Amino acid sequence: MRLLAVAALALTLAGAALPANAKETFDPAQIAHGKKLFAEICRHCHGANMVNMGGGSFDLRTFPEGQRDRFMNSVTKGKNNMPPHGDVLSQDEIGDLYAYVMGSKP
Amino acid sequence: MKRAILCAALLALAPFAAQAQSAAELLKASKTTDAVLTYGLGYDLNRFSPLTQINTKTVKKLVPKWSYSLADDQGQESQPIVYKGVMYVTTHKATMALDVNTGRQLWKTAYDYPQEVQRIACCGVTNRGVAIYEGKLFRTTLDAHVVAYDAATGKELWNEEAIPYHDGYTMTVTPLIADGVLILGVSGGEYGIRGFIEGRDPATGKSLWRRYTTAAPDEKGGDTWPGDTAKRGGAPAWLTGSYDPELGLVYWGTGNGGPWNAALRKGANLYICSMLALKPKTGELVWHYQFTPNDPFDYDGVNDPVLTTLKVDGKDRKVLLQANRNGYFYVLDRTNGEFIKGSQFVDKLTWADGLDPKTGVPIRSALTNKVLETGEETEIWPSMLGGKNWAPMAYSPKTGLAYVNSLNMGMKYKIAEADWRRGVMWLEADFAFVLPEDGNAGILRAIDPLTGKSKWTVPVGAPDNGGVLATAGDLVFTGHQTGEFSAYDASNGEKLWSYQTASGIEAPPVTWNQGGKQMVAVVSGFGAVMSMYVPHPVLGTVPKGGSVTVFQLAD
Ligand code: HEC
Repeated sequence: MRLLAVAALALTLAGAALPANAKETFDPAQIAHGKKLFAEICRHCHGANMVNMGGGSFDLRTFPEGQRDRFMNSVTKGKNNMPPHGDVLSQDEIGDLYAYVMGSKP
Repeated sequence: MKRAILCAALLALAPFAAQAQSAAELLKASKTTDAVLTYGLGYDLNRFSPLTQINTKTVKKLVPKWSYSLADDQGQESQPIVYKGVMYVTTHKATMALDVNTGRQLWKTAYDYPQEVQRIACCGVTNRGVAIYEGKLFRTTLDAHVVAYDAATGKELWNEEAIPYHDGYTMTVTPLIADGVLILGVSGGEYGIRGFIEGRDPATGKSLWRRYTTAAPDEKGGDTWPGDTAKRGGAPAWLTGSYDPELGLVYWGTGNGGPWNAALRKGANLYICSMLALKPKTGELVWHYQFTPNDPFDYDGVNDPVLTTLKVDGKDRKVLLQANRNGYFYVLDRTNGEFIKGSQFVDKLTWADGLDPKTGVPIRSALTNKVLETGEETEIWPSMLGGKNWAPMAYSPKTGLAYVNSLNMGMKYKIAEADWRRGVMWLEADFAFVLPEDGNAGILRAIDPLTGKSKWTVPVGAPDNGGVLATAGDLVFTGHQTGEFSAYDASNGEKLWSYQTASGIEAPPVTWNQGGKQMVAVVSGFGAVMSMYVPHPVLGTVPKGGSVTVFQLAD
């Protein structure tokens, strides 16, 4: 688990809900690696720097906070027109992509 | 997995039984007006029709006759084939036969492929249409299969895997039938492939020959690649070639080198970004001409090789014309591959300082040398989509002009480190588009092949990428990203007619004579490469949805 949202995690473990305003935070190295993977593997469908050109797909800048499992699942197994990537990316790598997508939001 | 959706009732009503569609007919395809027999309206890929019923005077009476839903939201690049009253059209996931008089579906055969293949399609999930021969239809599929159907029923006759898609290969190309051989090429230049062109037996689908488009170390030209870099060197062959039956040669272009960072493969890298002249029966390479040696910018040489005869210095020459991605318009002697002329046809070109006037070898600019030496971000024109992308041009022997959906975009390009992994995009470079200040990323041009100069230009805003049709009625038809389908005066570019289709147009129009009436057809359906990469404001406003519309003059 390379997620750095230690405080939030502790809260979750303690049975408390994630405070509505709590932002997940990520290791910059993970974000950087995720960015590189994104440019190679995701960009042609989701747009450079996640800026979707209109003809593309899901606008990743709008991916909701706190839904890491959904992200991991959709990227691993695919969803509708989103192709599965579980055979070419490890779970760690998909975690890094999650870090990039969530951690570089404006 | 592949299932035919057949409607027995409709079939019974279908007025046309299985017909032979012979080699002799194909040879006359460019003179035939009552059918659309090949990609490019003839083996010469001129996309020129001798029909004149619809002309500069009558075109204002052009009205839609029917339209048909392709029931698909991907980018549609299919060129319809029309034979004996039936139109054949494709999407990435189906092949369809339509009655051209009513627009009703005669049959539709679905093609299923694994979803993960879509991630290998660098530039869109699409298909460019069928070839027809001896009562059969032939198409390629995104998972790199080649399939034959019975043209009368849509029943699958054979289905051959050309190569495993897991290695980064896909196929979108319209096959070519030349001298009785089914010829096709692969896509995947962004995925670490080794490109090839292949000949197959149309009767059985069995491979007759395969010509790899990068030279292995032990082959002639192998010394133009360091180490074993040719193995993943790219040179895809993703657009249909032309055929000269008299010379017995098929002309087929090859694409970019892989990965894009050319410093990793120092040398000319034969046969990337080249035109190949092949014998259709054997795949023997008779000559080659390389447009962009050691290409770093994705300047594919795959664009349509258009065949015609031009007077050069007072002598008739059998030539091959190409509006290349790299921004130069080439005239080659197609008997031997000799460079005759190469001229800049776009307004802005910064990657080279010109071509050697004798050999056509490009003189790399200081900017190009800088980016390759330092890897630093540098603005380069044209962009990686080129001065013209796949959109096939039309050549009118009547006006002597080539009509081209040209592009007017640059890019900020830099080297970026990446790791090769099987079947995944692998560029080792990064890019961001630079749009022109006036917003005209697309310009329709009427180009003089021997000078590259435009006799007229029509700025169209968004970067059009569908292709052009020219007619002896002095018209030029092309579709726009906005969905508008327009006719222009071939002599001066004046817009004479326009119709708004349901989505953006990415496919080449066709025309033919149906029982005394000239028909025009175009497929509409926004998506594919422009929608994926280009931040042009117009593109964000275009709805999706594939359809075919057929037009004729109002009574
Ligand atoms: C072939 C094109 C394509 C590629 C490649 C691609 N995606 Fe997608 N993606 C889509 C489409 C289309 C959707 C919308 C799916 C839908 O209809 O629900 C989508 C949706 C998503 C979603 C939202 C899923 C959800 O739960 O709603 C995420 C997250 C995502 N993509 C991440 C990625 C990442 C990360 C990569 C790179 C590893 C990637 N995608 C590569 C096309 C693509």
